[in-house]
Amino acid sequence: MWLKDQIMQRKSKNIKSQLPKVGFFFLIIGIIVFFSTPLLKLRGEVFEEMRLAIFQLNINKNNDKTTISDINTENLEVTPENTNKAEENDKKANYSYIGELSIPKIKLRRGFVAKESRYNNIEYNVTVAKEADYPDVPLGNFILMAHSGNAYISFFDKLYKLQIGDEASVSYNAIIYNYRLTNIYNQAKTGTVAIYRNPNVKTLTLITCTHNDDYNQTIYIFEEI
Amino acid sequence: MDLSIIEKLITFITLPFQSFLTIEILLIFLLILMFLIYNEKRQNKKVKYAITALIIFFFSLLAFYFSEDIVTVLSEIVKTIMRCFYFPNIVFYILTAVISLVILIYTILKNNLTKLNKIITYVLTIIHLYLFTNFISLAIINNTSLTNIANIYQHDNMFIIVLFSQIIFIILILYKVIYHFCYIRHSKLKNTK
Repeated sequence: MWLKDQIMQRKSKNIKSQLPKVGFFFLIIGIIVFFSTPLLKLRGEVFEEMRLAIFQLNINKNNDKTTISDINTENLEVTPENTNKAEENDKKANYSYIGELSIPKIKLRRGFVAKESRYNNIEYNVTVAKEADYPDVPLGNFILMAHSGNAYISFFDKLYKLQIGDEASVSYNAIIYNYRLTNIYNQAKTGTVAIYRNPNVKTLTLITCTHNDDYNQTIYIFEEI
Repeated sequence: MDLSIIEKLITFITLPFQSFLTIEILLIFLLILMFLIYNEKRQNKKVKYAITALIIFFFSLLAFYFSEDIVTVLSEIVKTIMRCFYFPNIVFYILTAVISLVILIYTILKNNLTKLNKIITYVLTIIHLYLFTNFISLAIINNTSLTNIANIYQHDNMFIIVLFSQIIFIILILYKVIYHFCYIRHSKLKNTK
């Protein structure tokens, strides 16, 4: 009996001494879970900065190329090696930006990929709508969509802070297109959205979920300045 | 920025008297300082706790009023750390290599380290320095200018090398810090016995 009591006492002592360690472990897990979403968002922003920097670098390189007058024509011949290289570049180009949306008021700078890219998806990037015209199309409507909310892919989470008259710009093919916000309206989430815009002006349309509202989406219409 | 030393001093001295708020802040800090100094003589426990509570209250109030700015500053700090981890500039990367090299030389020359500690340090530092050398050779092969960060990280292989060497460096530093703490604790326990 005495021995049994001793063993039981030791066991309870051991369990008690382990409790703070277990508590500390769960505290760490809790902290990691709690901070994972904002940290992922910040990580996304850091990677985004780098992608934009690389995009800018490539634009500068392309602009440099236009000023070169000494063009070497030796490499123009198509060889299997060149084709392989081009394929490799195409694979890389899937995630290379073709342009950049910038809204200084909410400190938004985000690149977008080509409509055909598999990364032109709301889960990866600000998405160019299939129905959209690129910014260089006269009187076209360039339509971009993205999530809002707290997730790290919520690229349009601060759009609700915009007011009529705020400015945005789109950099595409080394040309910057400047726009001014002229209209904001909501529509119910039905899977489609009607865009009301002036067809005589080139426009930029941004679509995202309405702030703190699960049933509506907000449409921001910008007109070219 | 282009002020003379006297102008800088005058600006610094007149700074607390520019508005009612700055005068108020100055008075609060002076009051706390006076209480702290006076209490060093009296050694009153109540005053100690009261001042600690007052300091916590004051800084909580500041945090409450400037919460948005504090969040922005904190996220900037985290982003800077992440930038240093994922996309370090060449100066920072060289600095990590130098630290690694110093740790390696120190470990080689130091005699009273355990064998296991030495082996772990050798492995980590050698891998880190190997990756650094590889990075430099890749930069030479790719003819990459190391002054522009975007220029470096547009090459996937260079990004991967830097990422892995940063992970190794962090493991090395964590290992050294934890080992040092355990060593100090162990030696303290020995002394008390």
